[in-house]
Amino acid sequence: MAVAELTTERRWRTFADVVAFALGTNVWISIVILPAIYVGALHGGLRIFAAMLPFAVLVLGLVRRSEGILLGLFPAAVLVPVSLEPQLASQHVYGEIRFALVAAGVIAYLFGVSFFTTFHEPPAPRSIRMLSSAQQGPATRWRRRERVYWGLTALSIIFPAALIAWVDYDSAIADFLGKMYPGRVALMTTALTVGAIGLWLGVYHYAFLGVLRPHRTGDRDLVTALTRSRVDAKTGKPRARFYAAVALALAAMLALVLMRHIA
Amino acid sequence: MRRYFFEILAVALIGGSLFFFKETLDYLARRDYVAALLVMVIGVAVISVGKEMARLALVQRD
Repeated sequence: MAVAELTTERRWRTFADVVAFALGTNVWISIVILPAIYVGALHGGLRIFAAMLPFAVLVLGLVRRSEGILLGLFPAAVLVPVSLEPQLASQHVYGEIRFALVAAGVIAYLFGVSFFTTFHEPPAPRSIRMLSSAQQGPATRWRRRERVYWGLTALSIIFPAALIAWVDYDSAIADFLGKMYPGRVALMTTALTVGAIGLWLGVYHYAFLGVLRPHRTGDRDLVTALTRSRVDAKTGKPRARFYAAVALALAAMLALVLMRHIA
Repeated sequence: MRRYFFEILAVALIGGSLFFFKETLDYLARRDYVAALLVMVIGVAVISVGKEMARLALVQRD
């Protein structure tokens, strides 16, 4: 029994590794290697190192089987060569169809890694006994929560794709950047794209996840934070952040006065 | 009594922080980005202080 469970576990892990490697390599080639070949940016030690960095991070993530590396560090590493050579993400490299294909590849990678690295086939049960509550199906609140999760999943695809497509393919924005920053359109477009990704991450973290967070129950972090808040409230004194905010305000005022005085 | 004092202070600080954000917009319009950033930091800090006052007012009410 134990050997069978181990074999199933190994098979899932190998499958998850193969999926992550295939999809991650696709992301690396489509975002870094192909555009670099297209714009002729694969020369010089630093640029070649930057181009190989995402692949090295991907392999490291697979070896360590770390979700943090695969879902956080690898996407960040893909942006390193783009930051060195903004032409890699410029409009003439990505046509609309190619953009859609690359976006689909990135979404497939993120979903594939997040799903397959956490999903494991449970071992076969020794015996089965039906509970009366199981016949009623999931509770309404869980069905509602599942709908919210699916909504968040859809928003995670639609919002960043729409923002990036708007920044990169709206002719009004391209014309404006051409007038304001002649000769630096690719750099500014890339900066705006990174800004759009940052804006989406911020909105998602504070507006979307922020709504869900108070509904968590039994969460250790939340319970600890609530306990600390209760203890703080009983003291009736301002917390450290009050003094930090006062010091920050005074420092900023001083800097403003000094700046005016020096100018 | 302390509760009302904290409440008035919280409203004054949070409301007053709007002045700093308005100043931020004025500096941005004049393309003085460093000053705009500094004034914005002051505004955020003032809001934080106001928030802390509001929290203390709530504690007093309990």
